[in-house]
Amino acid sequence: MSTTTLGMDTNRLKTAGVYASLYGAAALFLVPYVYLVSTSLKPEEFAFSAKPYWIPPDATLRWYVAVIEGAPMVDWLVNTFVIAATTTVIVVVLDSMIAFSLTKLDWPGKRIVFTVIIASFMVPVFANMVPLFTIVSDFGLINNPLAVILPFSAMPIGVFLFTQFFSDLPDSVIEAAKLDGFSTFGIYARIVLPLMKPAIAALSLYTFVYTWNQFLWPLIVLQGESSFTLPVGIVTMQPTQVFQPGAEMAGTFLAALPLFIVFLILQEHLVNAVQMQGTTG
Amino acid sequence: MATKDSQSVVARLTDVDGVDREVVDGVLFALPYLLVFGVFLLYPLVKGFYMSLFDWNAFDPSASEFVLFDNYVRMFGDGSFWRAVRATVYFVVLTVPTLVVLGLMLALGANRQIRGKRILRTVFFSPYVLTVSVVSLIWAEIYSPSYGPLNYYVGYFVESPPAWLNNFDLAMPAVALATIWWTVGFNFVILLAARQGVPERLYEAARIDGAGTWRAFKDITLPQMRSAIMFVTTVQLIASFQVFGQVFIMTNGGPGDSTQTLVMYLYRMAFREQQFGYAAAIGYFLFFVLVTVSLVNYYFVGGDNE
Repeated sequence: MSTTTLGMDTNRLKTAGVYASLYGAAALFLVPYVYLVSTSLKPEEFAFSAKPYWIPPDATLRWYVAVIEGAPMVDWLVNTFVIAATTTVIVVVLDSMIAFSLTKLDWPGKRIVFTVIIASFMVPVFANMVPLFTIVSDFGLINNPLAVILPFSAMPIGVFLFTQFFSDLPDSVIEAAKLDGFSTFGIYARIVLPLMKPAIAALSLYTFVYTWNQFLWPLIVLQGESSFTLPVGIVTMQPTQVFQPGAEMAGTFLAALPLFIVFLILQEHLVNAVQMQGTTG
Repeated sequence: MATKDSQSVVARLTDVDGVDREVVDGVLFALPYLLVFGVFLLYPLVKGFYMSLFDWNAFDPSASEFVLFDNYVRMFGDGSFWRAVRATVYFVVLTVPTLVVLGLMLALGANRQIRGKRILRTVFFSPYVLTVSVVSLIWAEIYSPSYGPLNYYVGYFVESPPAWLNNFDLAMPAVALATIWWTVGFNFVILLAARQGVPERLYEAARIDGAGTWRAFKDITLPQMRSAIMFVTTVQLIASFQVFGQVFIMTNGGPGDSTQTLVMYLYRMAFREQQFGYAAAIGYFLFFVLVTVSLVNYYFVGGDNE
């Protein structure tokens, strides 16, 4: 507490430096957003101008109209939502069931099963894409949302996260429920799941965002324009006769908007979900 | 009834016909996931190796010709493959260290007593929720040589600003910069949590011992945050080795094949040239590289804690 005047001055200088660099970095971080929004509103002459009009002197909504009329944005939105939501539900149900089984039930071979699942963490998603494509194609699932949903439901991360959380649940709780006459399903559905709500919320949010944003795999298995997801659709769309930066940015803005709103509302939860990986991983 | 005698519990769970309920339930609860896992993760892993031993016929698999390791031999003699390896390693070198160091710097800065922490976190983390196509399309326009805002300002300092994404030397760094903007928030958020988990008393003790900021950073912050730093490094290594969307959208591998990365080459071989056997071999190579990276990280750098 006995800081000298000189010490206080350098301290203040340091604080000013920290503020300047953090807020400077933050301002730079916002530039792409500003460019996205302003370009999507720019009339043609400003969009193609070498001088960047960050705030266009004149604004138009014509690119938004062009994109909505010229590209099946609504179909893509629905496809993306169906794929992300279904994957999330399947992941939460299947992963919580097997995590419950692995941590709270005893059966021969479960150690081996657990080891295999954890080891499969190292399988890079994209290294598998050629054989996976032939399998999905043999099932007749090309252009079907299930072609994305099923492979992404197989990812082991949720099993890993849930087993970490479920093993923290005291066995005495399970034992007591058994003595009270709960069936195994009753213990899972009425005791374990309600107690694990935070972990379930975190994994749901993470899976939803992760699946929603996938690009390469949907690009491979969803080949008809009407079965595209938003990430694939906005790259291939040609809503105007000649290329227009404004139209491209309007489509990009619309594609980014849904998750961005989710992010602004559920930011705390999403940050928790990401941090959970770091602390349990 | 609150007995701890597990014998009685087992007795209650054992059916009349002698089948242990717990074993049956255990398997039943595990089965649905194992089914999906087996069909869509394990089976492709095995089938991928099998396919890599064939000159695979994409249209009529039964007409595939068994060639043993020819695809691997071809791969090691394929100039395009090695250029893809080099481009991938270059991308990894450009992104991973910066992502980790910048993420750490932002996290340590935001951990101080400053105003507007929440806003800073929102700003730095927000690009993480964008899909790769959104990121790539925005940055491709920013880099545009004719109307991109970047060259307007670069033009103040340089006579003729470069066409970033069409330039052999600058295309990959440009893609790397967009990637850093996109994913540094992930590292920031995890490292911030790790920093907040370091007990403050350690710093107080160091201060009493007269340790300066640098000493405290070197002797407390770094060792205490080691497992989190290792975690983000591993995650970024694996992600950067598999880079695809950014280069596919922003440069399509060009100019020449200077930004054609491994996954992009794999994609091209499989889905443009229909050479499934060869592409499967490249996939196995990628698999091998990433397993090695993870294991090296685990054993040599991050293995001794927790």
